[in-house]
Amino acid sequence: MQKAFEIQKNVRDNAKTFQTYLTDLQTWETEMKRKEAALNGDFVKDLPPVRSKIKRERPVEVKKKTEKRISASDYQAWEKFDVEKACEEVDMAEIGPVSLDSKKSEKDKLEKLREEAQYEKERGNAFVKEEKWDEAIKCYNRAIELIQNDAIYYANRGLCYLKKDSLHQAVADCTAALNIDPTYVKALQRRATARERLGSLRAATADLNEVLALEPRNAAAKKQLEAIKIRMGTKGSKSKSSPITEGNNYPQKTPKIVELDNKAVLDKTTPVKTALEKWKTGEGEDINVMKPVKKPPHLRSKRALKTITIEEIPLGKKLSEKPATRMKIIEIDNQAQGDSNNNDNKTKEETKVSEKTNYKIGDGDSNILECMKIKEGKIKDKVDNGDSNITEESLKIKDEKVKDKVGDGTTEKEISIRDLVPPVNSVQFMAEWKNLKGKISARSKYLSIIEPTKITSIFENALESDVLSEILQILSQDMEMFSNKTVTAYLKGLVRVKRFSALAMFLSTSDKQCLNKLLEHCKNVEKCAEEDILDLKNKFEL
Amino acid sequence: MATHHVLSIKVRRSNLDNSLDSVAFSSTYPMEDQDTPQIITHIEHNLDHSLFDCKWVPCSAKFVVIGSLPKGSGTIEIFEISSGEIKKIKVIERPNSFKCGTFGASSDVERRLATGDFKGTLEIWDLEKSSQVYITKEHTDIINSIDGMGGSTVNCGAPEIVTGSRDGTVKVWDPRQRGKPVANMQAARGETRRDCWCVCFGNSFNDAERIVLAGYDNGDLKMFDLRTMSLRWECNLKNGVCSAEFDRKDIPMNKLVATTLEGKFHVFDLRTQNPTKGFAQVLDNSAQSGTIWVARHLPQNRDIFVTCAGNGQVTLWKYEYPEQRCHVDGSGAACGVAGKLRRLQRMLISTQPVNAWEWNRDHTGLALATAYDQHLRVVVTTKLNLQ
Repeated sequence: MQKAFEIQKNVRDNAKTFQTYLTDLQTWETEMKRKEAALNGDFVKDLPPVRSKIKRERPVEVKKKTEKRISASDYQAWEKFDVEKACEEVDMAEIGPVSLDSKKSEKDKLEKLREEAQYEKERGNAFVKEEKWDEAIKCYNRAIELIQNDAIYYANRGLCYLKKDSLHQAVADCTAALNIDPTYVKALQRRATARERLGSLRAATADLNEVLALEPRNAAAKKQLEAIKIRMGTKGSKSKSSPITEGNNYPQKTPKIVELDNKAVLDKTTPVKTALEKWKTGEGEDINVMKPVKKPPHLRSKRALKTITIEEIPLGKKLSEKPATRMKIIEIDNQAQGDSNNNDNKTKEETKVSEKTNYKIGDGDSNILECMKIKEGKIKDKVDNGDSNITEESLKIKDEKVKDKVGDGTTEKEISIRDLVPPVNSVQFMAEWKNLKGKISARSKYLSIIEPTKITSIFENALESDVLSEILQILSQDMEMFSNKTVTAYLKGLVRVKRFSALAMFLSTSDKQCLNKLLEHCKNVEKCAEEDILDLKNKFEL
Repeated sequence: MATHHVLSIKVRRSNLDNSLDSVAFSSTYPMEDQDTPQIITHIEHNLDHSLFDCKWVPCSAKFVVIGSLPKGSGTIEIFEISSGEIKKIKVIERPNSFKCGTFGASSDVERRLATGDFKGTLEIWDLEKSSQVYITKEHTDIINSIDGMGGSTVNCGAPEIVTGSRDGTVKVWDPRQRGKPVANMQAARGETRRDCWCVCFGNSFNDAERIVLAGYDNGDLKMFDLRTMSLRWECNLKNGVCSAEFDRKDIPMNKLVATTLEGKFHVFDLRTQNPTKGFAQVLDNSAQSGTIWVARHLPQNRDIFVTCAGNGQVTLWKYEYPEQRCHVDGSGAACGVAGKLRRLQRMLISTQPVNAWEWNRDHTGLALATAYDQHLRVVVTTKLNLQ
């Protein structure tokens, strides 16, 4: 009896599996039809030679390989050996096959991948509508596998995880999406929801604030934010100091001021000393005091020297009459790190301060060697950065007009940008670039004053991959800034830098995402020619 | 648990299957457990002429059937599966009967069918335009078997076609070279020329390596190395070799199935070649089913294969590896160890010999079969993923 049941069950099971198989078959059919429809365009493949011809071709190849080698003892030949040329040949060999590569198949492949990914996404979206989260996640996984740099796929998968209550995964996916596209509002909102449910309310408010910054009228975000604030209770007010808003403020730099003392002041007697002190600290006067800063040579700025104009300020009695005049001195470089390789490039020039103004005082308790008070006359010469003691090299002295405007940190930054000079060589560029570290707008401004055609001559062969990736980042973040000279011109300039092919190999995926964005921009906004885009893509090994 | 079922089938004599007169065969098998694959004929389609070969068109739900009309002309028919039905899309008819075909040497985009016919002509077809793009007639007699390689695989050598003919020669062709074969293997002068029944490619794991296997009517099985252009190995299986196939073409050769007349087939382990003993093999002659016409490995699992017999029965097998695939014998040479064969399922799908079978590359368990009963079948095999 039991056997009969078992057989029955077996038969039923088999019928069931067969039925599911048939439905599978149906999906296979539609799938295959779609795949077939997608199959068109020519297919380029590297094929080995026809078998019967192999023998004839082989000896030729062997001959090619035996290149003339200079024997170690052949000194005459070595003397004539042109290292530069040999290096160049190696470089060209590197570039050669890349540019000759079958461009067409590469492009086609990418397009096909994109199409496939898009299809997967659509399938995923359909599953989302049916609330089949696991299936949808599978689809998005495939889409991401095909195309890694599309924020939408990550954000959508994030949503599925969110719905499945896999909150940590949801946060990770939204973060991935935001890394690709920081202005993706949906991803921000989803991350906020996930974080809220995870209990990290502050992070959630930060996300929502970001959303509101991007879309001030986003009602859902507002509502959510309020709800969170209520949950946070008194802490709600603290949301302003969330990490993101903090991060937006660049560390403020207090201008360093060097006091320039006057010999005449030193001669004054003790009762006057309090006045001297006062004068030194600039008390009672509307002036900033410059103080000397001591830095070891390797930390000093390697930037190009600049002519600074120092205005006359009447001192002494006249000071009281003209209290408003003062010198504003701003240092931009307070963390400049010199590249030890470039030390020999330092221009050794003496500080030349016009005789009238150069009075020295020895200060008793410190090792400040020179304190100068700019009194009369002008310092017109270049301030030296090789001089061992004074650090005026890092100072920028502003004229009066500017100084009056200077009220807060932001205008100060602006001014420092306005003072930028286009570099002539890579050393100058690197120094300034490091100076501007962390100041994205300043960097983009700096980049924008560089003539794209000169990029090759500036860098020669000293462009490093990290700098390249920073440049790309800057370019992609502020594309409007370069609208005059066009992003395309910059990219073209960059690829002409020597040994660029080697640099291209070190591009990270995030750099490539940047590049894709830039090229998109070149294509759509700057109307760059298709061949140029393709060429750039090749050079960047995209 | 031992419920035994008895099968008894009579097989009529077929004019092409001369190996048996009539076979009454009975078999018992224990009740299946839940994971046993089921072989089910999903679609059966009757055609009015003999069929010789069938192939899936790569990357599609279409397939071609190669056959011959009673008046002696050959046909290539293209069918499509749509919503569970077979629809004929196109027929190409030519005065000479076609015998065999392959898509192996063509890319998935071009999808060109190479065919061999009764007169010894090799043709490559552009099926869209219904015209040949390559014609050559180097064989003097029927091309019995054809195989292609290198079309859709990457870094596995040039696209090549191998043909085996009744004239005793095995020729290798490159579609890029017109007219002449790139390699030709024939009996030495003075020796009798045997009818070559089957050919196949294998061991093509890089651009240089490639092996052609040829089976002959006298039971000879010869392995030609195309890289060194030499005979690598040969043996005699006592009965004419009807079909031979490597488990995978694009890997260093692993296993080989060769089927013969009188219901026997051999599985060789090709990983270890002993200088004296050659390759280890396992022989199955348990089924008294007449000629085994064809053996085909599942593309999704290389250890599972199907054999199609003269009595219309298809059998699903699994090769089980031994614990150690080779040992060192007394003389210090490595010697292969054969594994075991396990029968997973069998099913009678036709009253006449099943002469061609092809698994679908994209869907596990989906297969196409033609038989001498003038029927074309789409067969599905379930639960293969559980094996």
